[in-house]
Amino acid sequence: MVLVAGLAAMGGLYGLFASSSGADSSTADSANIATGQQLFDVSCITCHGANLQGVTDRGPSLLGVGASATYFQLSTGRMPATAQGAEEYRKTSQFTEAQTDDIAAFVQSIGGGPTVPTGSLRTDSSQVAAGGELFRLNCASCHGLSMRGAPLSAGKTAPSLGAATDKQIYTAMQSGPENMPVFSDNELTPDQKKSIVTYIQTMKASKDPGGNGLDRIGPVSEALVIWILGIGAMVATILWIGAKS
Amino acid sequence: MTMPHHGDSSSLSAEELAAMSPEQQMIAGAEADGVRIVHRRNRFPIPGTKAEKRAERGVSMFFLLAALAGVGFIVAFIVVPYHWQLPGESQNFRFYTPVLGGLLGLMLVLMGFGAVLWAKWLMPEEEAEQDRHDEPSTDEDKAFIQSTLAVGLQDAGVPRRSMLLRSLGLAGGALLTVPLVALVGAMIKKPGKQLDHTPYGILLPNYPNGVPIIYSTGIRVSADDLEPGGLATVFPVGYVSDASAPTLLIRLRPGQVVKARKGQAGFQFGDYVAFSKICTHAGCPASLYEQQTSRLLCPCHQSQFEVLEDAKPVFGPATRSLPKLPLGVEVVDGVQYFVAKSDFHEPIGPGFWERS
Repeated sequence: MVLVAGLAAMGGLYGLFASSSGADSSTADSANIATGQQLFDVSCITCHGANLQGVTDRGPSLLGVGASATYFQLSTGRMPATAQGAEEYRKTSQFTEAQTDDIAAFVQSIGGGPTVPTGSLRTDSSQVAAGGELFRLNCASCHGLSMRGAPLSAGKTAPSLGAATDKQIYTAMQSGPENMPVFSDNELTPDQKKSIVTYIQTMKASKDPGGNGLDRIGPVSEALVIWILGIGAMVATILWIGAKS
Repeated sequence: MTMPHHGDSSSLSAEELAAMSPEQQMIAGAEADGVRIVHRRNRFPIPGTKAEKRAERGVSMFFLLAALAGVGFIVAFIVVPYHWQLPGESQNFRFYTPVLGGLLGLMLVLMGFGAVLWAKWLMPEEEAEQDRHDEPSTDEDKAFIQSTLAVGLQDAGVPRRSMLLRSLGLAGGALLTVPLVALVGAMIKKPGKQLDHTPYGILLPNYPNGVPIIYSTGIRVSADDLEPGGLATVFPVGYVSDASAPTLLIRLRPGQVVKARKGQAGFQFGDYVAFSKICTHAGCPASLYEQQTSRLLCPCHQSQFEVLEDAKPVFGPATRSLPKLPLGVEVVDGVQYFVAKSDFHEPIGPGFWERS
């Protein structure tokens, strides 16, 4: 925290940027951007550089990635990264939702790019089936029909969608994190993206028939119980009948 | 001696046999087969006692309950809700399978109980012994068997009548070959011309500017639709559900350059490339695209294709590059829409040995 405070003091530097980019923003926004920059200067600047230009052999440029990619990377805990590598994994986010939004606003103010969508990201239930069609065509090849993720080349993986929130799924489609392809708004319209989000969350929230689900692959769990408990009970009963007579 | 008991059974004369009750005959028959019934007692020597009636009722109760469970199964099959509901609504459907399984299981278990109790409560008590035969057969038995076989062969004239044997061999060979012709013949069927063209080729004569390319929704794909690093599954117009139609449209990231194969340099449009989505190994959709490493993966057998080398296979069982679609654009109302300038220049999908 001392480090945070110390570096926050250095945030006086932000005035330079605030004056150049704050012209077209309201005062509330510029306050957010300022807070975002303070956080950026503490947590992100080492690898992404003071002007988001990136640092050779450390991190890529963030110019043009926009608030959307920033929100996804920070809210899923992938950034700040624990180590350099081809793949970052989901972990507990280092920032609160408000801090994440502030940093995203800062990145957006410097480089521009896709913004984080606002409002509900769900459609009504009539679009679930359509979302499912799009999911199977565009997403299921990597994330799997059961949404549990799948292996890619050279040890990389497509992550499970189990913990993903509406906003994270949407911003992932928008920004194409790491090796995921980008799905632009011309290719998948915002409404289509929302129908995919709705489909994923609906499937995750729906219950499996009977027993515990095993990726909805069938009534395996029930059969296991029948084998162990049911047949065990039957054998015991047969022995009991035999002993009685 | 191997068959003494059968020999012994003939020791009963016809009169003796006729004088026996069916039960005595059964016991004598068992004895002739080397099974001695040492203890046999009827549980109810006097028929129609209260105790017998009670036991009978007990057993039939199990069968009746089994029948009821069967009726319950049919009722549950019709009545219990089985439709999946949206989250938030009552999910009664999830009881459907367990209820059906439970009732069916109950029916079988009750029938089993009934059958076991029938034997335990109503049928006569019985204990039987059976001789254990010593191993191996005696030398005498072995000699008998050998000479029986040898004489059989002699009678058929196998060593002498070679013509008969050979013609029989030919007939046997024919018998084996006939099903083999059907099995192997089906495997070496030539695919003919059907793999030489995809819907792109079929449609080409109708579209002088090239075959329009659409999304699964039917909307035409324009040249500014995808972001760099973007991927879309696209189709020739009107062929969204055709097995050979799916095509991957990829927009490369800045700095990614595709090394085109000989004669296919003009197939790329700007930073867009399009490949057949059907893996050249076993025909799965090879659509796991890694936009940073520009690898396309097939999920079935882990074949990997390097997009920057014109989708050349770099890992896994696939041996052929993914066919590349010659991309072009057609300007309609000032918007550049993608078209296929021609069909794929090679067969799409899994390799076959009669490739033309």
